[in-house]
Amino acid sequence: MTRLLLFFRLMVRPLFREPIRTATTVLAVALGVAVVIAIELAGDAAAGSFRSSVETLAGDSEIEVTATGGVPDDLVGKLATLPYPIRVRPRIEGFAVVTQTGESVPVIGLDLIAEAGDRMSRDWKLPDFADGSERGADLSSGVWVGRRLASKAGDQIKLQINDDTREYKVRGVLPSSAGDNAVLMDIAEAQQELSRTGRVDRILIRVPDQPSLEIWQQRLRQVLPDGVQVRPQGSGTEENRRMMAAFRWNLRILSYVALVVGAFLIYNTISVSVVRRRPEIGILRALGASRREVLAAFLCESILFGVVGALLALPLGRAMAVGAVNLLGTTVNSLYVSSQPGSINLNWRIIGLALMVGIGVAVLSAISPAREAAQVSPVEAMARGRREYILRVEKWRDLWIAVGLGIAGVAAAKIPAIDGKPLFGYLSAILFIGASALAMPALVEALLAAGTRVLTALLGVEALLASRSLKGSLRRTAVLVGALSTAVAMMTSVGIMVGSFRQTVVVWMNSQLPADIYLRPVGNPAIDRHPTISPDLADQIEKLPGVEAVDRFRSYDINYQNMPATLASAETETARYYHSSGFLSGKPDREVVAALRGGDNAIVSEPFANKHHVKAGDTLTLSLGERKVSFHVLDVFYDYASERGFVILDRDTMLKYLPDPAPTNLAVYLKPRANLAAVRREIERVSANRAVLIFSNRDIRAEAVRIFDQTFAITYALEAIAIIVAVMGVAGALLALVIDRRRELGLLRFLGAATAQIRKMILVEAGVLGLLANLAGLLLGFVLSLVLIYVINKQSFGWTIQFHWPVAVLLAALTIVYVATVLAGLYPARIATRLIPIEVVHEE
Amino acid sequence: MEMKPESRSSATLTAGMPVVSFQAVSKDYLADGQKVRALDNLSLGIEEGEFVALVGRSGCGKSTLLNLAGAMDFPTSGRVLLDGTPTSSLNDSGLTCIRREKVGFIFQSFQLLPTLSAIENVELPLLLAGSPTGRTAAREMLGWVELAGCEDRMPHQLSGGQMQRVAIARALVHSPRVLLADEPTGNLDTTSGDMILNLLRRIATEHKTTTLMATHSLEAAAMADTIVRLRDGRVEEVLRR
Amino acid sequence: MRNSLRCLIVCVLLLTGAGAQYQQAMPGYEYQFPRDHFSHPDYRTEWWYYTGNLKANDGRRFGFELTFFRQGVNRKPLQNVDWGVQDLYLAHFAVSDIGRQKFYYTERVNRAGPGIAGISRQQGRVWNGNWQAEWVNDGQQLQAIGKDFGLQLQLKSNKPPVIHGQNGVSQKGEGIGHASHYISFTRLITSGHIEIEGKSYEVKGTSWMDHEFSTESLAANEVGWDWLSIQLGDDTELMLYRLRRTDGSVDRYSSGTYIDGQGRGTHLSARDFSMLPLGETWRSTKSQARYPIAWRVNVPSIGLELQIHAAMQNQELAGKTRLSTSYWEGAIDVSGTRAHKPIAGDGYLEMTGYDKPLDFSGP
Repeated sequence: MTRLLLFFRLMVRPLFREPIRTATTVLAVALGVAVVIAIELAGDAAAGSFRSSVETLAGDSEIEVTATGGVPDDLVGKLATLPYPIRVRPRIEGFAVVTQTGESVPVIGLDLIAEAGDRMSRDWKLPDFADGSERGADLSSGVWVGRRLASKAGDQIKLQINDDTREYKVRGVLPSSAGDNAVLMDIAEAQQELSRTGRVDRILIRVPDQPSLEIWQQRLRQVLPDGVQVRPQGSGTEENRRMMAAFRWNLRILSYVALVVGAFLIYNTISVSVVRRRPEIGILRALGASRREVLAAFLCESILFGVVGALLALPLGRAMAVGAVNLLGTTVNSLYVSSQPGSINLNWRIIGLALMVGIGVAVLSAISPAREAAQVSPVEAMARGRREYILRVEKWRDLWIAVGLGIAGVAAAKIPAIDGKPLFGYLSAILFIGASALAMPALVEALLAAGTRVLTALLGVEALLASRSLKGSLRRTAVLVGALSTAVAMMTSVGIMVGSFRQTVVVWMNSQLPADIYLRPVGNPAIDRHPTISPDLADQIEKLPGVEAVDRFRSYDINYQNMPATLASAETETARYYHSSGFLSGKPDREVVAALRGGDNAIVSEPFANKHHVKAGDTLTLSLGERKVSFHVLDVFYDYASERGFVILDRDTMLKYLPDPAPTNLAVYLKPRANLAAVRREIERVSANRAVLIFSNRDIRAEAVRIFDQTFAITYALEAIAIIVAVMGVAGALLALVIDRRRELGLLRFLGAATAQIRKMILVEAGVLGLLANLAGLLLGFVLSLVLIYVINKQSFGWTIQFHWPVAVLLAALTIVYVATVLAGLYPARIATRLIPIEVVHEE
Repeated sequence: MEMKPESRSSATLTAGMPVVSFQAVSKDYLADGQKVRALDNLSLGIEEGEFVALVGRSGCGKSTLLNLAGAMDFPTSGRVLLDGTPTSSLNDSGLTCIRREKVGFIFQSFQLLPTLSAIENVELPLLLAGSPTGRTAAREMLGWVELAGCEDRMPHQLSGGQMQRVAIARALVHSPRVLLADEPTGNLDTTSGDMILNLLRRIATEHKTTTLMATHSLEAAAMADTIVRLRDGRVEEVLRR
Repeated sequence: MRNSLRCLIVCVLLLTGAGAQYQQAMPGYEYQFPRDHFSHPDYRTEWWYYTGNLKANDGRRFGFELTFFRQGVNRKPLQNVDWGVQDLYLAHFAVSDIGRQKFYYTERVNRAGPGIAGISRQQGRVWNGNWQAEWVNDGQQLQAIGKDFGLQLQLKSNKPPVIHGQNGVSQKGEGIGHASHYISFTRLITSGHIEIEGKSYEVKGTSWMDHEFSTESLAANEVGWDWLSIQLGDDTELMLYRLRRTDGSVDRYSSGTYIDGQGRGTHLSARDFSMLPLGETWRSTKSQARYPIAWRVNVPSIGLELQIHAAMQNQELAGKTRLSTSYWEGAIDVSGTRAHKPIAGDGYLEMTGYDKPLDFSGP
């Protein structure tokens, strides 16, 4: 009890005496933790949605049978007649675009006759063939839809499937357990509408508990062709999850940046409070408090910061998650897998995480100042005066450690990924951040020493006073610059990385998008959806005057080594129009593409090659339809369209194994001197009754860049929050500085300083802090961007990115940070001008 | 010599324009919600070059008087004229101006800026006032307080006496009309204290700078031309040498 | 007459006015085997119905029923060859574990799909998923796999198929076309295995197979029927059905067939036999229907007087949904006299229309 009282008096009460600094610190913790849990929540919501309606509607099956391009129909019969007590459920799974809203919704085709009488179909009020209410039932042209799409049976709904738009009659509304946006139809119709001729997308199988699932999979494999995959149901979902894991991991790391920045601020707050309370600590020590008790008291204070911050972070994080989910959804859709964001659930795991992270970061950043507090000797109780504000800075020792960390960082950057995760890449980044933090006092001092004269010449005596004051409280200044520069560095490095990536993509697109006009079905693009265009449309376009050639591009979702990927085919005859050099080997495209035509050959994208350790000359075995086919890998091409990876075959090769002629995209090459606008009008005419989008070359590049920017929106949002935390920290710290130096400020008034001069001095201090942070941040950011581009990106995504300074973006961002920092000085400056000199000078 | 404050005040007025003049000045403070009268209807005039020691017990109003004389504060009632200008007629920037030109301060605890070197401390008032000739004047001033060669020392590298000499140099660097010293020897040993007092004496004599010094020390007061004894916010007696 | 009411209901419900496109069962039909053992897509309704009494080595007694229905719903050409629906394929499978008084029952419905269900003369096969009857040489093999029960049986007939009714049609009601073509194997020597809850029993016994196809058979005023197949100890068999009308009376189109030791069938009209409940009933807790499970049968022309008792009470195939009907179909014990000499046998009894009035409203 006495301990508690002591704690309260020594620790809690002072906090209330300095409400603003306490509040900014708690808010910094809260923001940092909020970002972490927002990303966690948003990630959960995004990942949770993979188990979208498609899986909800899967019922209680245990095994799934899939094949690239679909499982041939006759295998359904084969499985259904096996002498095992199993339930076989074929399914067509695709998506439609709701014409009215443009929303992409899952379309599921079930064998409604065989499902009749099943529990699931009863629950969902599907037609039961022993149910009189379905009198005169005809299974065709009726759909059952989620409640978001229609309110009652008898409604009409207009759906676009592939490039065809049709009106469907709503036969029933599904209960919410089936998801709120699914479209269900009979398998016969679904197969036709989605052009899955002779194939189903998935066969779900329910098997008895005995023997084991492995044995059942084995038994089924024995009777099925090689190319067909037999897996536990939901493996696709699992794969998506696994694929997403790396992405989520990276995002998570990024979200911790705001926390690191927050850590700097806690460190600062507690350091200052230790310094300020040295006499009290001394008195306590003199009165018999042990070192451990002092240490514990300060750690308790930090825990208090952590807990309060974490609790504040919960509602804040949840609110942020809403925004993050939208941003994340776009990224996930364009890079990984089409998904509908799930709901945001603030569960105990998240609450635990918040507390753990909040308390963790608070305690970690408090350890060093708390230990310093414990070192205070009882004698210091009496020693007041000048020593009070001088912090012990061992800048040379720290500088040497920084050099050591930097060397370790360089070394860590050279270690390869572990399990696909660039662990050492991150370690390297952390080491560089640590090195920067430790080098900061020396750097700040050197810069201030060098810059004071220039600044004074430019800005007058206020600059002299400002820079002297910053130099005078070197440790605090270094911590502030460290916090802000870490945020700036993160912004800079991600900015450079994204900018480089963007530039690389733009350059790459110029060579990869040689055609004049492109077509694809209407709908939001997503990497794992491949709606098709009617083959006859391609033929029609090819015959138009002014059209030289049409490249029919076809893509399929495949699974390679338990990871999703995209298999595509192109018409290599059109290779003669290519003029790029997109291969790792440096061979001319024409040569490689011509060789592709020669048989079972393939080219793979760089991310695919990295992920699966495939190189030119290797053999790649793919499951195509029911067959397993080995392809010779001719070369690896640069690609920035998908992180999942591409395998590309010649169209004829693809048709040999997967005979569906419908293309997913068309690239139209014009004859020399043909009029683009006229040909485009002609194409629009022949495709008038088809739901296709027509892009000119310029359009599609703009579209690609737009998608690219959307994809990275989340990273910008994260950076912005880190910057906000840091700027808030600057404001809080400046305020602390003002309060600490109030006597000095009062004295300046005695010596003839006008209030405007005091304000200017504080703003110059903010400005100098901002400048130092921008300089240091730019430097560190450059180093980190190298780590991001050449280590972390390369190891986790496999893209080769050409380094590029996004000068305009960086300048704009740094200016914003700078201005924000100066603005952050406004409030402290105002407080400084309001001090009453005779009070502050004489108080003692 | 003893005089009623009223008559003394009028006597000064007849003798010429005093540099600092208090006319029926009262000053109230709020302390813990209670109104405390620090100065009570006080009148006093100090002439050019006069070295005045303010003596009296703690809380008798010495510091308040100095603050009012230094244009750091306004009287609750009455007028304070600084070189003929009533301070109450000025706004904040006017006060700043008058302080820059006419007032120098010395404090018991020296109040040097710890981050500035000796010479930087000295030139600070000139810099704040926007004067370009700070460095030369500061160097001269340091020389005058016998600290030539210590220009680049930082305050913590100086002894107490040295610090107070720097503070004196700083207070005089802009040639103020009035030097206000609040217990300038309070934190010093006897030797250093004597040195400071000698300096102050010389300031009044050589520079004709009016000096108003609050002190507890009789020794210090003995150096002054005039001793004003305060009690409960009033002038108890004025001893003129 | 073998008909599952359930099947009929489905048939009625799914009719799309296409009845006219199907052929009626008309007198003078010329039977041809093996052709007529397989599908007759020109007729709307067709079934292959296997029942039998079996004994394990240890004397444990079993009954089984395995039925394949084909119900035409659409005669239009299909847009989707693999998944389009012309016929529905229903199947019922039941095993009566008489020794343990347990009744196992399951059903399924499928479309032909890509080989999911169907009838193939080429393959000599009638199947629905992994339930099938396959002709092998001159015998048949049955296979059915349920969740906790199954069977594999070899059936071989010593007698030729019997064609019921007169002039190739079995009349079911007033008016032309209210009839079916009806063929039976009345004594199939059976051996094989029955599996119940993971245990396999080697069994031997006698089975009966009906194959019937028609387009419209029952008339509107008929509520249900009672059907019997009896295999007597003297190598003769008897099939009887009694059609009950809405007013409680017995329809005059009730009839039967007596098969002698050589496999020759004699048509029995409603006047030639009597088939009356003895009063003993069993009430189903599932459907609330009350079934007469003891009967007296007299066929004066051949001097038969028989008493029939259900081998166990609960052999009801309870309908699983609100509107599907339930029926009782199970093994029976037969005893009595022929020309005053004691005679015994076993067989199968089917009783329909006891749970609720049936919906016969046509399309």
